[in-house]
Amino acid sequence: MHVRNPHRRRLTSFVLLAGMITVSGLSAVSIAGELLPPEKTIEEVVDHYIQARHATEKVTPAPQSTDANLIRRLSLDLAGRIPTVTEAQAYVAATEPDKRARAVERLLASPDSAYQQRNELDTLLMPKTNDGAWREYLLKACQENRPWDQLFREMMLTSDADEGKKAALMFLKSRARDLDELTNDTCKIFFGVSINCAKCHDHPLVLDWHQDHYFGFYSFFQRTYMNKRNQLSERTEGLVKFKTTEGVEKSAKFMFLTGSVIDEPPAPTLNDDEKKAIEKARKEDEDKKEGPPPPVPAFSPRTRLVELALKSEENRFFSRSIVNRVWARLMGRGLVMPLDQMHSENPASHPELLDWLSRDLVTHGYDLKRLLRGIVLSQAYSRSSTWNGPETQPHDQLFAVGLTRTLTPRQYSLALLFASRNSKSLPEDVLSPDWANRRKDLENHSQHLANQLEVPSDNFQVGVSEALFFANNQHVQNDLLSEGGDRLAGVLKTIPDRNEQLKLAFWTVYTRDPEAEEVAAISQFLDARADRLNVAWQQVIWSMLTSSELRFNH
Amino acid sequence: MPISSQTQSGLSMPNVGRRAFLGAAAAGAGAFAADMSGLDILKHKLLADELKRQEKHVILLWLAGGASQFETWDPKPGRPTGGPFRAIDTNVSGIRISELMPKLAQRMQYTGIIRSLNTRNADHGGGTTLMETGRPPEGGLDYPDLGAILAHELGRADSQVPDYVSLYTSTEGRHKGGPGFLGSRYAPMFLDKDVMPENIKRLDVVSELDHRERDDLRNLLSQRFARTRHNNTVGSHNSAYQRVRGLMASEKLFDISQEPQAIRDKYGPTQFAEQCIVARRLVEAGTPFVKVARAWWDSHGQNFETHLELVAELDHVMSTLMDDLRERGLLEKTLIITMGEFGRTPQINPSLGRDHFASAWSASLTGCGIKGGTVFGKTDDDGHKVADGEVGAPEFYATILQALGIDHEKHFTYLGSRPIPLTEPGTKPITQLLSNV
Repeated sequence: MHVRNPHRRRLTSFVLLAGMITVSGLSAVSIAGELLPPEKTIEEVVDHYIQARHATEKVTPAPQSTDANLIRRLSLDLAGRIPTVTEAQAYVAATEPDKRARAVERLLASPDSAYQQRNELDTLLMPKTNDGAWREYLLKACQENRPWDQLFREMMLTSDADEGKKAALMFLKSRARDLDELTNDTCKIFFGVSINCAKCHDHPLVLDWHQDHYFGFYSFFQRTYMNKRNQLSERTEGLVKFKTTEGVEKSAKFMFLTGSVIDEPPAPTLNDDEKKAIEKARKEDEDKKEGPPPPVPAFSPRTRLVELALKSEENRFFSRSIVNRVWARLMGRGLVMPLDQMHSENPASHPELLDWLSRDLVTHGYDLKRLLRGIVLSQAYSRSSTWNGPETQPHDQLFAVGLTRTLTPRQYSLALLFASRNSKSLPEDVLSPDWANRRKDLENHSQHLANQLEVPSDNFQVGVSEALFFANNQHVQNDLLSEGGDRLAGVLKTIPDRNEQLKLAFWTVYTRDPEAEEVAAISQFLDARADRLNVAWQQVIWSMLTSSELRFNH
Repeated sequence: MPISSQTQSGLSMPNVGRRAFLGAAAAGAGAFAADMSGLDILKHKLLADELKRQEKHVILLWLAGGASQFETWDPKPGRPTGGPFRAIDTNVSGIRISELMPKLAQRMQYTGIIRSLNTRNADHGGGTTLMETGRPPEGGLDYPDLGAILAHELGRADSQVPDYVSLYTSTEGRHKGGPGFLGSRYAPMFLDKDVMPENIKRLDVVSELDHRERDDLRNLLSQRFARTRHNNTVGSHNSAYQRVRGLMASEKLFDISQEPQAIRDKYGPTQFAEQCIVARRLVEAGTPFVKVARAWWDSHGQNFETHLELVAELDHVMSTLMDDLRERGLLEKTLIITMGEFGRTPQINPSLGRDHFASAWSASLTGCGIKGGTVFGKTDDDGHKVADGEVGAPEFYATILQALGIDHEKHFTYLGSRPIPLTEPGTKPITQLLSNV
């Protein structure tokens, strides 16, 4: 196949910016040194490197957040929802010195944890589709805490004959019609780099990549296609040719991002008749409406890519990318930003930390739960998200303040469902079967709301259609503000005391006590509607549900 | 924003001067936001006038499916490819267009025609993406469409009218387009069923007073939260809610029953005509970008009957729209873009149809920033090829941007460290069509 440049991108726009990366922000050049020993815990190592940078930058970080705030943060990150009133108050009241570690274990063991991890991975891997079988596959994988390298292998190499796991192929199948998209997405999502600039010319900012790399990476997928039975197949031959910016035609090698090349073994010498017979058989199989998937060719570039990318000398891209993504999810920004620019010209804010965490991930079998647990147990994770100091707030990349994070559509939808419920109507024990069933129902129920919301991107701005939806949609009125007995609006009606009502409402929605200013404003609103208090409370709940305090993880 | 600020700026007083208006607007986004929601901006001449002075607008008449250049802007009468219709003189000497557009022919002094588009992509999907974004797709980069780009460039952050409205009621070729990497702040208000947007009306069960005051309460709670957190997304969440009541007030912009009958009669009774009335009402109230899609021009069979009907409607509605804008002093601030995803073949097929054709076709630009009465580019005698002045989507976009006074070479955003220019470096606008160069 011959890939033509669809257009020529000129260099000027990049060259202008060549200096920007180093100019902006604080200097973050890695000073190569010994990493902390591998036997230290993740949380110790995180705090060591984060605090070391605070010391060099002479920054005093924000204090630790309150218990109530921390249990909310942990619940959203590990369970994908806000805590129930019972959960939160039990955590605040607990006196054990290791109560945080216990809470983390409890959340990680809850059925919520797999849903949350699944939803996060789904958003990362398949942001544009909503495929039931794929989501089920991913849920099962998360319930088993399947290692990240194994998931990658399954997505790239599962056979359509494997009924239990073939849904993993959706990652490739949904992109198989557009090999450029497949190349870019695979590169971005699993290896943390965008190399599409290198398609039309050698990457102007990044010395690491040339057109050879782009087309080299593309080559690993170029023989992949879908047959008429919607099975993923791979041809036995086909080379990528491209034109360099100088106009010279070149054949791409099977080249990974590190520059490592795989040589294709010479094909057995066949005469023309033999070749024709093979091609005829392949064609016939391709057109069949039913039947088993075609065999994997003796030389399968896709298989070789996976082997190469996971080899210990080559797995740097693979391990660092997922560490950076998990870090960004929990901490509000990556150690490298943007998440798909993990190249030599764009160093990490804390290079040793990224290296240590990547090494730890690989030596512990790509166990993502271990990584999640370690990060959320660090002091860096639990800093207050407010900054009241007279000094200007330290730069985000120092992680001196807890960063405010936009909830994903799923998290916000579930937060809304939990916040609008009578907390007492929920089972108390998250490890009970009752809870598992209830959580599953709520997960399904959240779909409708989640569909109304945009997946946050870098520099995300909330659109007005979201605000219009919450302001005027029937679903919000009928569902979230319902006065049924299992709902917040319903239970508030049964409480005679105003202060008790306020306290319950605030713990249910915000996981905290109300403050004087809020009590005054809400009381004024309610007093003006003394003749119709039930309706008035519905409107108060609306105000609370739509305020930024519920919309963000903070 | 507390509601009391509505009275503080004095904007609701009828005799306020322009200076006072500018002062109030400059005093802060919030003050402006609150003021607008309390006003009937259509009736408030002063405010409407000021907005007209400040703002530029675009109405995109999207001819979905691909209109024939032969039956519109580039007729070839008497040639084997020319079809049955004649060419007529226009009120600009030397310019002749299809006889199916007699009314536009008498308004040629406002319109610039491009007859030399070669956009290479004659597939509906690919052509639409190309003409909607002005550049070929690039793997891994989700480019915004023209509406989102212009909402970003021309819209106000606190705008109380929608800044990108897309009316696309037919199902053929329907494409939502969108903000790409600019994000949902610039997503279109997309009207695919009705001319009335979703969620713009208050539910009856919530009283007007409760609706307003619960929003004040929300704002108080939310501002308490935002005060100690320096975060742009939190800011955008609260601005989105602050825009709600203004947008709800713009509900009447979508209600053409509020338009005088005499004007509705001028436009005519078709859905396209009514959507163009909505477009004019929006533009008049300050909306920077409105797209009105008319489908379905994909005349693989019976090309001439299809065009007889559709071009006649376009001629009438677009002429009326031009007159209407001109009478309100808006034509010089409003650019009307008339195009589809491609043109149609010179060859007339056995079903008397014309097929997809992207190598030599036409589009037009009317009004704001355009040197009217101009034709740019030329096709050969039978319309097979561009003979002179070949341009593609990027040049067309550069021309649109320059006509609106926007530097087409500027970087309008960055993705990480990568600058994204409005048009790729080296792209030249068609200066012959621009009045402001």
